[in-house]
Amino acid sequence: MKALQLTERFGLDRFFLGERTLVNKPFTLNQRRIFILPTQRGLGFGVLILLLALIAFVYNNNLAYMLAFLLGSIFFITILHTYKALAGLIIQEGQATAVFAGEAAGFSVHITNPDAVERQHVQLKLKIAEHFNLKPNSKTHFILYDLTEKRGWHPAGTLTISSTYPLGLFRAWSPIRSNAKTLVYPKPASQQIPFPETGTTQNPKGQFKKGGDEFYGLQSYQAGDSIRHLDWKAYAKGLGLYSKQYGGESSAEIWLDYGHAPGQSLEERLSYLCRWVVDAEQSGLSYGFVLPGLRLEPAHGSAHFQKCLEALALFNL
Amino acid sequence: MNRAQNKDILIFLLSSIGLIVLPHVLHLHFAVFGFFCLLLAWRFVGIWKPEYLPTFPWIFLLIVCGTAILYIQHRGILGRDGGTSLFVVALGLKLMEIKTERDLYLINYLAFIVAASQFLYEQSILMAAYILFVCGVLLATLVFINSHVANTTVALKKATVIIAQAIPMAIVVFILFPRVEPPRWLLFNDRQEAKMGLSDTMEPGSISDLGTSDELVFRVKFTGVIPQPNQRYWRGPVLTQTNGKKWWQATDLSYLRNLDKVSYSGQPYQYTLMMEPQEKDWVFALDMPVDFSSPLQRNANYQLITSDNLRKRSEFKLTSYPNYNTGDLTKTELQDALQLPGAPSEKIKQLVIQLHGYDSKPKDFINALLRHFRQEDFHYTLTPPLMEDKPIETFLFETRHGFCSHYASAFVYLMRVAGIPSRVVTGYQGGTFNEVGNFLEIKQADAHAWTEVWLDKEGWVRFDPTAAIAPERIEKNIDISRLTQDGLIQFSAANEGAHAAFNFLKQARQLWGHVDYNWQRWVINYNTANQSSFMSAFGIKDMKTMVYWMMGFVGIITAILSLFLLYQKPKPVNRTLLVFNKFLKKLAKVGLTKNPGEGARDFAERIKPELPEQAETIEAITSAFIAQHYGSRPTEVKFRRLCRLVAAFKI
Repeated sequence: MKALQLTERFGLDRFFLGERTLVNKPFTLNQRRIFILPTQRGLGFGVLILLLALIAFVYNNNLAYMLAFLLGSIFFITILHTYKALAGLIIQEGQATAVFAGEAAGFSVHITNPDAVERQHVQLKLKIAEHFNLKPNSKTHFILYDLTEKRGWHPAGTLTISSTYPLGLFRAWSPIRSNAKTLVYPKPASQQIPFPETGTTQNPKGQFKKGGDEFYGLQSYQAGDSIRHLDWKAYAKGLGLYSKQYGGESSAEIWLDYGHAPGQSLEERLSYLCRWVVDAEQSGLSYGFVLPGLRLEPAHGSAHFQKCLEALALFNL
Repeated sequence: MNRAQNKDILIFLLSSIGLIVLPHVLHLHFAVFGFFCLLLAWRFVGIWKPEYLPTFPWIFLLIVCGTAILYIQHRGILGRDGGTSLFVVALGLKLMEIKTERDLYLINYLAFIVAASQFLYEQSILMAAYILFVCGVLLATLVFINSHVANTTVALKKATVIIAQAIPMAIVVFILFPRVEPPRWLLFNDRQEAKMGLSDTMEPGSISDLGTSDELVFRVKFTGVIPQPNQRYWRGPVLTQTNGKKWWQATDLSYLRNLDKVSYSGQPYQYTLMMEPQEKDWVFALDMPVDFSSPLQRNANYQLITSDNLRKRSEFKLTSYPNYNTGDLTKTELQDALQLPGAPSEKIKQLVIQLHGYDSKPKDFINALLRHFRQEDFHYTLTPPLMEDKPIETFLFETRHGFCSHYASAFVYLMRVAGIPSRVVTGYQGGTFNEVGNFLEIKQADAHAWTEVWLDKEGWVRFDPTAAIAPERIEKNIDISRLTQDGLIQFSAANEGAHAAFNFLKQARQLWGHVDYNWQRWVINYNTANQSSFMSAFGIKDMKTMVYWMMGFVGIITAILSLFLLYQKPKPVNRTLLVFNKFLKKLAKVGLTKNPGEGARDFAERIKPELPEQAETIEAITSAFIAQHYGSRPTEVKFRRLCRLVAAFKI
């Protein structure tokens, strides 16, 4: 990592939000990234030490002095121990998968402990805190969830790794401002509406008007397959869960056009459009996709599906 | 997980709190201690039966109870006893309400305060070690609370490590932290427990059992020559007034300016005297103290008095001369030294006549009287019969059993009847020499009473009538070994075998005495004066320099600790990877870099088309690397081959 300017190093935002420079590579927590401050309990401990010193002073009692000084030293040394609870951990942020708005986006984080000491009670927090111990020379992996609300790019924000081990008097923490982000698709409308009947759906050959309903085989069930296509008979026989595949996908074409989507606002329309895309993909239709300024020829499959959703997520942003 | 409900943590915390408060059983009123024990036991039950824990109205009632107990016992919360009781009761009450982690911390902190309060009562090494141990357990509780997986051994180990690392810094701060005497208004006037010790009156006839206690009164360390046992008379109050039964000090000791200057000669004894806490302001100096400094004053009876508070251990540097001449008597002194409670009886007069008290020189009479004690059937006992009426007569003619006070009072009485100025001196005699620490320990059992007779041209001269008793008439239950050691009584002891048997025990005791002496001297009694003299030995003169040194040392210790704690061993470098990196570096020169996350094989496939002539070598290196780095059987031969290949690789 590039050395920071002195003024940058003392920037307050670093203190709360972490490094300004975002890195994708794994990085090690060191003195530059770890902050330490006494906790409320630590301040209480300070008051305790003062009280003990006062007792020692009033009674001129050397052993009470000694106890106060011992606790003072312990307080001081705890700074090092708390720092050590985090120092040296290697953090790498992994992939985040796209989600629909309203769902929780999961950001994966890998944490490696390269040292021969066990890390005790480390807390990793995005929105919800995770606590863990990390054995010497070992790795762990977490997926931290964050609720999404709006479509578009959703940044992971500041991830905080912290520890109050061993005495809870100090909290060492490192705010990690990651550049991990995930794409949030519009929330599909909850209400199912029929596909738009437009001229563009017509097949030039005029065949298979209601294409896509010719059964041609079975395929093992995959998440996202329409429940209507499940082969319940096979399931009842205990053969496992299969989806019925219908032929003629290429023959049926619909056009999902922003212009035909119901709704008052942009978001509402996008939401209906999104629902159409999901439904069309699930029912195996070949669908074309039209947004102002974008036109995707009718196709089918996850690549096409992704493209449409991405376009929806980022439209007009 | 709510740690406040964790059984292990609660058991751990409650046990350590029990340990912290336990020694207070000796100091606190039984009601306070009992109240605390009740609450602790209640809380212990509550670990397994939470439904038995008190709810709000009950807690309120308990608080009222606690307050009432505090009020009745101490009428306040200030001062040592009151404050300690307050914290113990508060700790007990807080135990009833453990809801959150914060409560656990509060209890822990209160426990530390109670631990410190133990030191206000006792400052022995054993107590210090005990408190250190319990503090370790308290810290372990904190580690416990802050652990993800609670584990007693790990927590205790961590706490021990932290304490061990904190001790050097604490010691440095202890030595260098400037000690300032607290201002007067801050001193709570605590009534301390009455210490057993010498009193300023003596009434031998009313004592039937003189207990001997092993309690330490003071210690003396000599620089240079140590006086012979029969020279070791530690001077306390001088009793001149008597009513025939009771002896006491003259109330007016201020006729100082009428006194003759003491002339002294001979070998001076220089020594440091360390008094244990006591109620009186007497400092027991060796006869005759000559050099003494500020808080000390010598009164008309040549006894040292301090204006300082002796309730703490204090140290005095003194010089005494064994040979001295006090010179002439003043009128008041003479009057005091001849005072009698009325005309003596015929029997007494007869005795004085018989011993030629009226018609010989004072010295001859003294010798005659001492001979009388030795030759007649006088016994030394610690359990004499009661002599309520006319104790001196009863002792001289009837019982003839007594201890030093009986002999001293009878001796002085007879002297005065014969018209010789005399008085009783109380104090301590002898002392046990600690060979390990090279100092004398004077215990309560060494308390003694002797006499002084004023002789013309010699001044006050010491006589010890108790020493005149024949050894075979000393009672068996008296510690003969001490009496002989002190030179008080000389006779050939036949029990040398027994002495040898006790030698080991004696040595152990002396070693402990030595350790304890140094503990008292350097730790407990390390005060403003001690500190500044200790510091000036290192050239540190003022408080500011002291603070600078303290900060410097703390900095050094921090640096050492940080190095020790934060230094990481460099990881063993994988040499195969090093060689492969060399290969990658060569490729990087021509702009071919491996992307992070790209495998060696993928990388090779990607660059082969770029470097068609080298494709074979690249393939060979990649395979060799993969075989050596990831393969199940890396060998030295394979590694050499990889090295050769990479070395030969040129673009």
